[in-house]
Formats: sequence, structure tokens, C-alpha cells
Amino acid sequence: MNAIRLIAADEWRLMRRNRVAMLGLAMLLALSTIAALTSIAQRDNSDAIRARFQAQADQAFDGAPARHPHRMVHYGHFVFRPLPALAAFDSGVDSFTGNTIYLEGHRQNSANFGDVRQSSLLVRFGQLTPAFVLQALAPLILIFIGFGIVARERERGTIRQLFAHGVTIRRLLIGKTLGLGGIAALMLAPAALALGWLVAAESAPLMPSLMLLGGYAAYLAIWVLLIIIASSLAAHARTALMALIGIWALTVILLPRIAPDVALATNPTLTRLETDIAIQEDLRRMGDSHNPEDPFFTAFKERTLKQYGVEKIEDLPLNYGGLLAVEGEKLTSKLFDDYADRQFAAQRAQSGLKDAVGLISPTIALRRLSMSASGTDLEGHRRFLAQAEAYRFAIVQQLNQLQATKVTYSDDRNRNKDPEAAKRVRIDPENWKAVPDFRYQAPSSAEKIRTALPGLLILLGWLAVLGLGMRLAARRLEATA
Amino acid sequence: MTGMWRHELRLFLRQRLALPTLLLTALLSIASVWAGMAEIARQHDTIARIQPQQAADVAAIAKWVSKEGDAGNAAYYTFHATWDSPSPLAFAAIGQRDVAPYILRVRALGLEAQLYESENYNAELALPGRFDWAFVLTYLAPLFVIVLLHDLKSGEREAGRMGLLAAMARNERALWRRRIAWRLGFLLAALLVPFLIAAVLSGAGALNIALFTLVTIAYLLFWTALCLWIGSHGWSSVTNAATLAASWLVLTLILPALANLAINAAIPVRQGVELTLEQREKIHGGWDRPRAETMQAFFKAHPEWRDTEIPADGFSWKWYHAFQHLGDLAAAPQAKAYRAGLEARDDWSARAGTVLPAVGVQVVLHRLAQTDLKEGLAYQDRVREYHEQLRRFYYSYIFNEAPFKETDFEKAPKWNVG
Repeated sequence: MNAIRLIAADEWRLMRRNRVAMLGLAMLLALSTIAALTSIAQRDNSDAIRARFQAQADQAFDGAPARHPHRMVHYGHFVFRPLPALAAFDSGVDSFTGNTIYLEGHRQNSANFGDVRQSSLLVRFGQLTPAFVLQALAPLILIFIGFGIVARERERGTIRQLFAHGVTIRRLLIGKTLGLGGIAALMLAPAALALGWLVAAESAPLMPSLMLLGGYAAYLAIWVLLIIIASSLAAHARTALMALIGIWALTVILLPRIAPDVALATNPTLTRLETDIAIQEDLRRMGDSHNPEDPFFTAFKERTLKQYGVEKIEDLPLNYGGLLAVEGEKLTSKLFDDYADRQFAAQRAQSGLKDAVGLISPTIALRRLSMSASGTDLEGHRRFLAQAEAYRFAIVQQLNQLQATKVTYSDDRNRNKDPEAAKRVRIDPENWKAVPDFRYQAPSSAEKIRTALPGLLILLGWLAVLGLGMRLAARRLEATA
Repeated sequence: MTGMWRHELRLFLRQRLALPTLLLTALLSIASVWAGMAEIARQHDTIARIQPQQAADVAAIAKWVSKEGDAGNAAYYTFHATWDSPSPLAFAAIGQRDVAPYILRVRALGLEAQLYESENYNAELALPGRFDWAFVLTYLAPLFVIVLLHDLKSGEREAGRMGLLAAMARNERALWRRRIAWRLGFLLAALLVPFLIAAVLSGAGALNIALFTLVTIAYLLFWTALCLWIGSHGWSSVTNAATLAASWLVLTLILPALANLAINAAIPVRQGVELTLEQREKIHGGWDRPRAETMQAFFKAHPEWRDTEIPADGFSWKWYHAFQHLGDLAAAPQAKAYRAGLEARDDWSARAGTVLPAVGVQVVLHRLAQTDLKEGLAYQDRVREYHEQLRRFYYSYIFNEAPFKETDFEKAPKWNVG
């Protein structure tokens, strides 16, 4: 045990003297701190802006004047996706997905004003968040610090002296691992502090935060082991450096970009325009509301008349126009849901394929874990879309019901001819206040952890494989030292 | 002279890292060009695919609208497709084309609520950025330059050949020039040949291809110069490699990310949401405002319809279109401010590009490939123009109270693919 500690301590002593290593470490810690501070400030700011816009939209809706309920269906509502506290750690796809949707009757609009379309190409270089620093930069700095950790001893022959002093290879490697692991832990510190702050001050959920910490620790441990193994196997320190930079470029930069191409090519999705057209066509096929003899709407009329036991629409106790609006909205909404489900399924298949590449790139696996635990993955956005659509349907139907109950059929028919009827169809604006506000239900901690789990499992698998790799390295070292 | 060049070539190719690096570069270049061409082909296909669908959609609307011949219905229900075809060089630098819509349907109602629609795309796949040729050049090519040049002199020194080389070479500078020329030349060929073939196949203009090539050469020369400068300190190969890789990290990842952070913080753009909220209040307030007031304001923008009769009450398409357009006019200041904010962000990025080579290369390549934010805005301008044509087209029926017949659907302005 003592020898292990000595080796680790010796490693740190050497590193303190290594100017490149210290510079790299200082730079990473500084960046990590800057990333954490700006990211937290930015998250708070964005979330506050969205909350303010949401309040403004709620106020506008509640304060709308007396109107025909169908006017309110078209006036619609705006909903904004709140930004979870952990987005300050990993902003995930937040900038790539719009954060506001305009909800109105008969139509399903897209989520708009995502940051990526509002930024120059710079945004595609990566956003400086604690997650980005740890995912992309920390491994490279670890490589710079550690590529020579074993190879150097072998090149200089000092490794034989160590053995002569009775240090076993196992202890040597464990000591070196601890030495480099200590540096990795130091790199993790600013991010850990940021997570602690988010949990303590911004009520970020505890378990997902711990999972993030565990995931990033496992990720850095993977790189520590990779570096030790490469440094033990390589004949020269430079070969180790080249090989490690190659592995880094492949798994951190290249594979995450190639995987999406494969996923897109194998699971193409419909564009918005095609979806729009397809929905319109389906609607026409189901029932043409513009055709007075359309079988679907004739059947609906018959059914309604029978239900209320009357002969004519005029005799219905409710406004037939409102009932028709309720029925029509049911049709369109069902189609919206069907097409959205198909779209979501295709996107899930795409993401699944990309995640599978995580088996050969720990960075992809870590990103899955990180975004899911932070609540900034695509699943979170889909939740928002699904809830917004459910809310849209609910308020539109509530307004259609108002048309059916509070506006009479004859007033509705005569509103364009009779100024008195036109006045009467504008119902009491108190009714708008009775429409509930949108409340986004964030995924529970358990759900976040469940979606993040595959990423963690892949990382643990990597650790297990690299544990075996260490044995191999030890054997090689024994044979060559 | 040629003998010495040939000799150096043999030496270079015998190096352990030389051939694998060049092959890898060529492979990545080919793969990225292929992936980019496939993506652009997909986009062309999509644009072609929507045409018959769009035509069928319009035909179905024409069928029932023409029965009554109400031009208001035609304007309300007919969507018109617009698209932004990829430029010949888009395959090399896909840019914003994967996150900004390149097809968009608009109708003659308020435009501001339609213009900022987004596309259904998988954000998790867009997040890491595309694997295109610009990526290979900007991020990976410098690494290959470093691999080939970090030990140019230190390698010889470490092998103990430095003194010998200096003594034997008639002209030592020429010797190093030859070595650098071979390394850089092969690397450039590996990178550029796949690009050039694809560019010619795509029908790109000679000037643009030449500019792409020049930018590529300049960028690699920058990295070569950096390698030589780092190498001139007499450090070991390992130190050179580590220092160069660290420089790469700072220049291609850290500083651009910091610049993005600073630019977006310095130039906030919230007007997008503000303008949509504003436009919607204005449009829907239209139902409640005195009709004469609305028409007065509209006639200021469209004096040619000043003399048309508007019914005092009851629904009227003329009135409806008047307040639709007034909604756009009310949101115009925010729309302008929004656009100015986006342009300012883009301009500052270009300025960052003058000091950060990686950013500069990206800015220039995407400008040449017409896949940057500017092109997105230019597309929006074209949609604005087209929307104006559409409005005027439908106005001529609505305000003249002319019937809209089935054949009139074909007379609607066509999206100009220029």
C-alpha cells in the first residue's frame, strides 16, 4: 500500500514540475469554472425570460375582451418550455429545439426560436458548458499530462530501478492510476461544485445530479485507464501520445458526427411540409366539412339529432356549430397525434442507432447519460411537444364547448347579418380566465434516471473491459521492461 | 534537382506515420464528401418530392373552392410552397441547412406568424454537427499537419542525423523546403482531390472552387507555419506534439466556444418571440377595432384599393385581409430589430474569424457554399417578396370582388427558383 501511495505522490511531484501539464490543468480548471458560472447565469436568464413571456401570454389570454369563442380558438395561446435547473450543467438539445409553440385551433405549429437558428455558425463549434468541458476537453488534457506516465519510465530505464526496489508491476500501475486519477478528480471538482450549487440553491433534483457526477467520474476513469494502458503498451512516449490523440479524435470528435449520418440515412422522417399535406389529405378523406352532403358530417348530424331526440338542428338545446367544432377538432387532433407518434418513433429509432455507436465511443454513451439526467434530451422536448398538443386540444375543446353552450345556434348563424346577434355571440371574458394555464410537467427523477441508465451501463462496461486491459498491459510490461 | 526531390519523397514515404496519415486523410475526405453529397441529394429529392404533393393539395382545394368561387376561401386555404435549393458547393459545408427549413409553405395571411416555422428534425443528431468536408478540413486536417510536421527537425535531431544533414546538404533551407513541400503537397492532394471531383460533378463554378482551394491552402499553411515555429524552439518531438495539439485545442474548440458565448451574451435576440406576440395581438385585435380605422390604415399601405366598398358590418374578406396585413406592419419594427440582431451576431462571428483561423475558414466556406445564417435570411427575404406577390394576386380578386375559378389557381405567382 505504501509503495502505491509513494508512486502516486511521486507522479504528482513530477507533474507539478511539468510546465505543460500544469498549464493544461490550470487552463482546464479555469475553463470549467468559466463554463459553470456563465452556464448557470445563462440558464437562469433564459428560464426567467421564458417565464416572463409565459406570464405575458397567460395575461393576454385571460385579459382578452368579449369575443366569439371561435375567435379565441384562432387567437390561441403561446406556451414556453421551462429550462430545467440541470440545463446549466448540460444544455443538451435546448438550443436546437424551439422553446415556444403557438397553439391554435385546427393547426399544429412548430416549436420556434431555437437558439441554433439565431446564432452564427460559431454555435456548431460546441457550447461552453461544464458538460462540454468534461466531455471533450478534459480527456485531451489528461492525455497531455499522462501519455508518458509509464512509457517515460521505460524509456529512461527507471522502471527497472523501481522493480529492483521491490515494487511489483501491479503496484506500479495502481500507483500510476491513482496519480492520474487524482488529476482527473481535480478536473471534476468545478463541475461537482456547480452541481452541488444547483442542487442546493436552484433545487436541481438530487439523484439525477448524483448520476451525472457518477457518469462523468466513470468517463474520466475510462480515459485514465486508456492512458495508462496505451502508455504501458507503447514502445515510446510519442507513440502513446499519437495513439491517444487518435483515439480521442475518433471517439470524441469523429464518431459522434458520423453516427447521426448513419441514423438519418436508415430512418428518414417526413418534413413538416409533407406532414401538413398528408394530414390535410387524410382529413379530406375522412370527411369534407366544406361539402354539405359529406357522409361523415351527415352521419354526425343524424347521430346528434337522434341523441337529443329532435328533428332539426335549430331545435337542439346546444349550438350545433359548437358541437361540429368539437367533432372537427377531435378528427384533426387524432391525426396530429398519429403523425407525431410516427415521427417520434422514427426519431427514437434514429437516436437508438446513434446510441448504439456509444458501444465504441464512450463520449456518445456519456452524452446520452448526461442529457437524459439533465432533462435536456430530445425525450424531454418530445414531452413538451406532447403536453403542448394535449393542452392545445383541451383549451380548444373548452372554447368549442363554450360556443356550443353559451352561443345560440340562431345568433351564430345571424351574427354577420344582425348587429344584435353579433353582440350576443361575444361572450363574457370571464370565461377566458376559467381556461387553465399551461403547466409543463417535467419528467420525474426516476424517469430521467431510467433514460440515462443505458449510457451509464455502457460506461461501466467500458470500465470492466479496460480493467481487463490493465492486466494485459501489466503482462506486456513484465515481458518488455 | 529532381533527383533530390525524388530522394526526399522516398524518405518521406518510408516514415512510419506518413502513409497511414495520408491514407486516413484521403479516406476521411472521401467519406465526408460522400456523406455531404448524400445529404444534398436527399434535400434535392425532398424538394422534388413535395412538388406533386403540393400540386395535389392545391387541386383538392381548387375543387371545392371553385364551386362558390370565393376568392377569400382560395386565399385562406391555399398554401404555396417555397424552397431553397442547395448550392452546388453545399455538399462540402452543410452549415445551417440541417437545422433551418429549406422548404416552407406560406399563405396570403399574416406572414410573421409563418416565416419562423421550424423543421421537424432530430435535434440529438444535429447537436454534434455534421460530418462534412468543411469539418474534416477545419478540425481534422490541422491534426494531420501536426502529425506530419511536429518532428520535422526534432526527429532528425533525436535520431542523431542533424549534424550530418547540415553538413551534407548544399543548401539546408532548400532541403527543409523540399521536405515540407512533399508533406504539405500530399496532404493537400488527399484533402482536395475528393472535394474537387465532387465539386466538378456538382457543377460548382470555377471561381468558387478556386476560392475553396485557396482557403484550404491558406489554412494548412497557417498550421504548417505554426508547426515550424513551435519546432524552431529546439524542443523534443514529444513536447512539440503536445504543444501543437494543445494549440489546436485552444484554436479550434476553446476560443470559438468562448467567442460564441461572448457574442450571444452581448447581442441578445428576444425580438423573435416579441414580434410574434405583437403581431398576434394586432391581428386578433382587428376583429374588435372599428372597421373604418382598420381600412384607413390599410389604404395607407395599399392606396390602390382606396375606393373599394366595405360593408359596415358582417364578415368581409377585404377587412380580414386588411387587418392581417396590419398585423405584419405592426410587427415590422421588431422583425427588423430581430433581423438586425441576427446579422450583428453573424458579423461579429466573421470578425472573430479574422483572428481565429478555424472560425475564418468556416465563415468563408459556408458563405461560398451559401449555407450560413446570411443565406437563411436571404431565403426569408425571398419568401417575403413572394408573399407580397401572393397578397397582391389575391387582393386583385378579393378587392375587385371577382370570382375565383378553378383556372385561377394556376395563375397564382409561382415560387421563383432563381
